[in-house]
Amino acid sequence: MGCQHLEELYELWLLGALSEQGAPDLRDHLGRGCPHCLERIREAAETVYLLGLAPKPARPHPRVKSELLRQISRQAASNR
Amino acid sequence: MSEELASEELLARVAQHNVAALSELYDRYAPRVYGLVAHILPSRDAAEEILQQVFVRLWSESPSLSQEGRSVVAWLVLTAREAAVDRLRALRKNAPNAGAPGPRAKTEKTQDTGMRKSKAAALVSSAAESLDGKTEAIKPRPAEGARAPAMDSVPPAWLPRPKEITLIDARLVLLHKAINQLPKPQRQALELTVFGGLRESEIAAEMGEPLGKVRSSLRAAVTFVKHRRRAVSGTWAANI
Repeated sequence: MGCQHLEELYELWLLGALSEQGAPDLRDHLGRGCPHCLERIREAAETVYLLGLAPKPARPHPRVKSELLRQISRQAASNR
Repeated sequence: MSEELASEELLARVAQHNVAALSELYDRYAPRVYGLVAHILPSRDAAEEILQQVFVRLWSESPSLSQEGRSVVAWLVLTAREAAVDRLRALRKNAPNAGAPGPRAKTEKTQDTGMRKSKAAALVSSAAESLDGKTEAIKPRPAEGARAPAMDSVPPAWLPRPKEITLIDARLVLLHKAINQLPKPQRQALELTVFGGLRESEIAAEMGEPLGKVRSSLRAAVTFVKHRRRAVSGTWAANI
């Protein structure tokens, strides 16, 4: 598959910005291991990461961590 | 646990069911992840719930993520954003009359050097704030199907390597300055999709612009950011 026509779509596809109609089915294509598109999607992920860091970091309530660790410890115990 | 350990080393320990390593990764990255999801979602409760879910998911997916040698913080940020916009879409679907909820804190500046809230984002923010006041009433319950039953995460194979993320992290201030150079309509369209979870057709409706124009704006915005990122990361010899 020639993938050059997808060049400007990787980031928007990864962001879920493309209208469902006409959006390329990249998930299947990537699942088949197209090396060109895998390289481009990794680069697109860098851009999405960068955009995702625009909001200021914020400190969550300590309760969230306590609940998380309690939940994980329960899972870890049940897997033993 | 030593501060010196690389995140990917911690991830390898998480994959071996080391709770202390997960705790360390949480301390390191929760503020980043929470800053993002709290920016997207209209209530603190929803943001905290997504934050917790993402780290639970990290626990269960750590073996495959670690094996691929991909960046753990990239996985966290991308998976958290996807989960938060999915939740936002579910809220919007459940409360269609509430408008298009978007970023919560409309008056809050993002990173000092990051994107400022746009007029369009503020527009959806006001809808989000009215939604925020009704959070308890519209909070989706599992029986209503609004809460995604299984959170999608980004496949590890799609993620950058840690060294690429280190380059971005080292130049974050400069990169956000560069993003701030985006022309306003492009920035608005980009914010509505990154933080509002809107598709291009929904952005066109929200901004009252033709779909073709919005599509062009989004493509131009993404190309601009991509080129600035390449330039600043040193993978392109270009001045910004």
